Formats: sequence, C-alpha cells, structure tokens
Amino acid sequence: MAIDRRHVGRRYGPYRYAVGEEKIADFAVAAAGGTPGRVFGAASRALAHPFHLDGEQARTSPHGSIIAPPMFAVAFAMQPFSDACADPALGLDLLHLVHGEQEFVWHGVIRPGDVMETVGEVAEAYSKGPLDFLVVKTTSTDQRGRVVVEGTWTAVIRG
Amino acid sequence: MKAQREFHVGDTFRLERTCDRYRPIYYAAASGDFNPIHIDPEVARMGGLPGNILQGMCTMAWLADACGAYFDDPGRLRRLRARFSRPVLVNDVVTFEGRCVAVEGPVVRVEVSARNQKGEEVLKGASAEALVG
Repeated sequence: MAIDRRHVGRRYGPYRYAVGEEKIADFAVAAAGGTPGRVFGAASRALAHPFHLDGEQARTSPHGSIIAPPMFAVAFAMQPFSDACADPALGLDLLHLVHGEQEFVWHGVIRPGDVMETVGEVAEAYSKGPLDFLVVKTTSTDQRGRVVVEGTWTAVIRG
Repeated sequence: MKAQREFHVGDTFRLERTCDRYRPIYYAAASGDFNPIHIDPEVARMGGLPGNILQGMCTMAWLADACGAYFDDPGRLRRLRARFSRPVLVNDVVTFEGRCVAVEGPVVRVEVSARNQKGEEVLKGASAEALVG
C-alpha cells in the first residue's frame, strides 16, 4: 500500500527528557564497544571518551563539565520518529521498515541536567517504485529555550 | 586540543568497530531503541532480514566517534549525515575511513566511507562538519 501524502504535517510531541550523567556514560560505553551499566560493565567504562565520564579530563576540558556524545541525542530526539513509524493512522508495516537515512545538526553540546523538549513533524511521505519513504523532522530545545539539535529521519518501507 | 591551523584538506583518519553478538542489545539499553528487528533474530527473519541487525543509529554513533576523534573533541561536531545502504549484522566488522575535504575558517568538513569485512559499503554519502575555532 502506497504511503499517503496527507500525513505530511502530522505532529508528535512535545516530549520531555531529563539528561542524566549515568545515561550519558552508558551510551558512550555501549557505542565504544563496552557493556553499559554498573554491574558487569563497570570496567569497560574506560573505553568511552573521557569527556563523557565524570573525572578530571571532563572538568578541565573546554566544556568545563561532562558532555554527552553528540549521538546521545537519539535517546530523546528519536521519539517523534518512532511514534510516527508506529502510528496506527499511518499504518506502516514495522517488520518491513528500516531506517534509511539520517541527518543531525547540533547547535551546542548536551550536558547532564539539561531538560530537552522534542517536537517532530512528518515532512515528506512518498513512494518510489516498491518503496515507501517517510521523513520526520525533529527539533530539540533545552530548558533555556535554545535549539540544541535538529534531526531529519528517513524511514524506508519495503512494499 | 588540536588548533584550527592543524586541520588540512587531505588529512585522513580511520576507526574500526565490531558488531559483536550483544552490541544491538547494549545499544538498545543505552539508546532506548528496542525495536525487535534489532534484538530478536526470529522477528528480523520474518521481516526478510538475514538476522537481527544493528541499529543504524549505532553505526552512526561509530561514525560520530570516528569524526570526533579526528576533530579532537566530540563536542566540536556540528553536522552529521549518512544513508544506510546495507544492514550491519552480528559479527560484522565495520571500518570507517575519513578524509578532510574542506577547511573554511573554523569550519572543517570530512567525508567518510564505512565498509564491512567483505568490503561492502554500509553507509553512503557519510559526511560531517565541525566547528574547531
């Protein structure tokens, strides 16, 4: 079934997310090849970049505190995209849906204690041959009202 | 930290990361993306995939790590894009090879290839931009 263009403009959010120091560490460790958490994974924390962990190097870095890996934005900014993909109104076949393309623009760093609010909107919905494409744009704003990260998320659904 | 004048067109960098059996699960725990096609091989096969596949956002996090290491500070990254041209499967080893293509004042741009152990591209059109000044 071809995706319906009338979904363009459909909105999701706002979603609130409070950024935590341990979640930042878990993300950095998991991406770097370690095991997240404080149980069996604690030793592998050393694999993460020191700017993402509590310690001297984060405190004396140009950022002056722990910063999140830029891709940590996924933890909060993906929600409008995943909600759109699973939205019964769109009726997409999740089993045949993959993440096809992604772009992020960061306007600043993300720190523990930040409270992010993310909104998203279906920007495009179109078919190309047997494939359907859904493009969702998201904007994540911090507690001071500054836009920190913008995302363009493209799902591809095989018909 | 690496200064603006130390970035040059033609600089190269490289990073290798492995999708071990638990990586999609660990990444799910860290990111919140528990879509079953990433953690359950049976569900993935029902969708026509050869097995559970790594979250594209994890491959992109590896890409960000590769670029962040070259930029000498993960906090300098300002823009990142990629197309996921082939799924990353359990036991795949992905090699990222980047090249600096532009230095315009404090803005540094790189292009990156990402290939699995068979030499197949898992990302296309991957590029990044950083503010290093």
